[in-house]
Amino acid sequence: MLTGKKITVVLSILFILSFTLASMAAEYVPGTPLKAGFIYVGPVGDLGWSHAHDEARRICEDTFPWLETVYVESVPEGNEGLYIDKLIQEEKCDVVFTTSFGFMDGTVMAAQRHPEKILAHCSGFKRTPNLMTYMADFYQIYYLNGLMAGALTKTNKTAYVGAFPIPEVKRHMDAFTIGVKETNPEAEVHVRWIYEWFSPTAAKEAAEALIAEGCDVFAFTEDSPTVVQVAAEKGYPSFGHYSPMYDFSPDYVVSGQIAHWEAIYLDFLAKVYAGVYKAHNLADLDYWWLLKEKAVEIGAKPGMLINPLFEDDLKAKKVNDPVLGEINVYDLVMKRLEQMSDPSMVFDPFNGPVYDREGKLRVPEGSRMSVYELTTMEWAAQGIVGPWE
Amino acid sequence: MGWENWIISTFSRSLAYGTPLLLGTLGEIYSERSGVLNLGVEGMMIMGAYSAFTTTYMTKNPWFGILVAGIIGGIFSLIHAFTSITLKANQTVSGLSLTMLGLGLSGVLGKGWEGKPLPSTIPKMIITPLNSLPVLGPIFFQGQNLIVYFTLILVPILWYILFRTRIGITIRAVGESPATADSQGINVARVRYVCVFIGGILAGTAGGYLSVAYRPAWTEGMTAGMGWIVIALTIFSFWNPINGMLGAFLFAALYHLSFRLQSYISPELLKAMPYAMAIIVLIFVSRGNLQKRVGAPAALSLPYMRGED
Repeated sequence: MLTGKKITVVLSILFILSFTLASMAAEYVPGTPLKAGFIYVGPVGDLGWSHAHDEARRICEDTFPWLETVYVESVPEGNEGLYIDKLIQEEKCDVVFTTSFGFMDGTVMAAQRHPEKILAHCSGFKRTPNLMTYMADFYQIYYLNGLMAGALTKTNKTAYVGAFPIPEVKRHMDAFTIGVKETNPEAEVHVRWIYEWFSPTAAKEAAEALIAEGCDVFAFTEDSPTVVQVAAEKGYPSFGHYSPMYDFSPDYVVSGQIAHWEAIYLDFLAKVYAGVYKAHNLADLDYWWLLKEKAVEIGAKPGMLINPLFEDDLKAKKVNDPVLGEINVYDLVMKRLEQMSDPSMVFDPFNGPVYDREGKLRVPEGSRMSVYELTTMEWAAQGIVGPWE
Repeated sequence: MGWENWIISTFSRSLAYGTPLLLGTLGEIYSERSGVLNLGVEGMMIMGAYSAFTTTYMTKNPWFGILVAGIIGGIFSLIHAFTSITLKANQTVSGLSLTMLGLGLSGVLGKGWEGKPLPSTIPKMIITPLNSLPVLGPIFFQGQNLIVYFTLILVPILWYILFRTRIGITIRAVGESPATADSQGINVARVRYVCVFIGGILAGTAGGYLSVAYRPAWTEGMTAGMGWIVIALTIFSFWNPINGMLGAFLFAALYHLSFRLQSYISPELLKAMPYAMAIIVLIFVSRGNLQKRVGAPAALSLPYMRGED
């Protein structure tokens, strides 16, 4: 018969055993099946940021036979810690990706709680030995979209509906504005903030407000095709954001930004599998991937760089470039794309000199912004009209 | 940019964004007038939005989509009617469950429907020659759709029924004192069922308006709290359809202005403006003697059990 004492002994042995087993299974052994967890801030069907990450997750799972993935969607910022623990402890994930800027501090703390696991935080700047950061950034694409927007506006007022006034969105607005100014020095970029990543209603009313102000070309940062739809209703051209939005208004989507997060995920996961990246050598690892790494693409939809309906308008508008001479905007976009896709990136929108809207020199002639300067950007480029904080 | 531009944009956007709020509020007024508090507006709205979108997608007929949205909203509300009227359950709990059920169910069912462009939507109307009227033309007769007009017409009709007809007296009597109404031979349960059902139909229609006219697209959780604004507007309206209309359009106008005024006033402050206004009004409404005059139906949220009062 089992006495209470015996039960206690058996239980404590089991307890100790489970700990040993857990710690034995803890660190990922290269070459063995790998499980990766993804934490999204929005619903995967939002057609924006989270959707793009989830598409990439599926591509990874289809590509690597040794990879298994799980995801959690619509996780509120601040709750990421709980979900990271859950993915690691219950789902037994070896790698966890957290895909929102607001997940930064929770991810750092979780990385300290699980030193044997690999974590990756998207769009942040805090790293630890087992936490890397990554970002597929759109600023070059926004610049190219801006070149087209400047050529297409008839009222000289282009519009940008922004999510939150944080460096990432400000960088994109600045790049867009630099593009607009390059092809149309008279034009302005009118800005409205909605203080949400996903809010179709707010995006709609913000776009309507910009239309009432006289804007006639639209760019935005929000995770739904709402701005594209509102602009199309009035017959105004727009630029899709994050996912291909051509289908929502084929007559009015000029181009847009498309993310290819799989470029980063495939590279990183393959290197984890190969044993290149481990839970103790990530402190200096930051994927800051742009056009040249093919982590981002310009287009109304994949393969359609510029909607053919707008080709003639863009070719009709000519600008004088100090280096390229007289060139039409269509060719200018292609040329800039080629320059930025070049491995040595011979051109960048933030090549100096760049002044902010107060007239202060932000990037001196002959220099270029560092990744750190880009990710902490707070100033407004010349041509931006509207609130900034 | 002249003052006409400001007036036109504010009023026309107020009509477009205020219409779903107004539809929901009208329905909730009827439900609450009969004594049933229905906190399930958000759930009924989102079910309406989901069913309108899918129906329109499959049949290519947005009007049919709106019709189905109304019916689904109505049927959905019967869950609340059954638990709160027949089973006499706590109305707050039952209503909240309805909201959660609606959000969850539409989210699961709607997974495959997200990100699909709608083949046809409720057309925007341009009514000539009225649209060339100064100011009024662009506000009322350019770019609004039939549902907006339908809702505007519904307001005086629902007001008239509630305050000038026998049916209205019956509804209000049931909401004020179900025991008295019962002793007069009124079927309390039936009146309440009908009123909750009307509330469901209107909330469902409001949701349908969002997904096939206002946006138009389907996304999980797309009502984004509008159902709760409806609950606030119902109190704000003192349970009167005319006030409900003023409240809904005022809220919508402030919402639009919060984006237009961003160049002049801090956006954070503006974002809080419509909600701050709702709170201020609620404070005034809940003050002593005013409450007596315009107060909530006396039997609101109380299940009626014969012979207990």
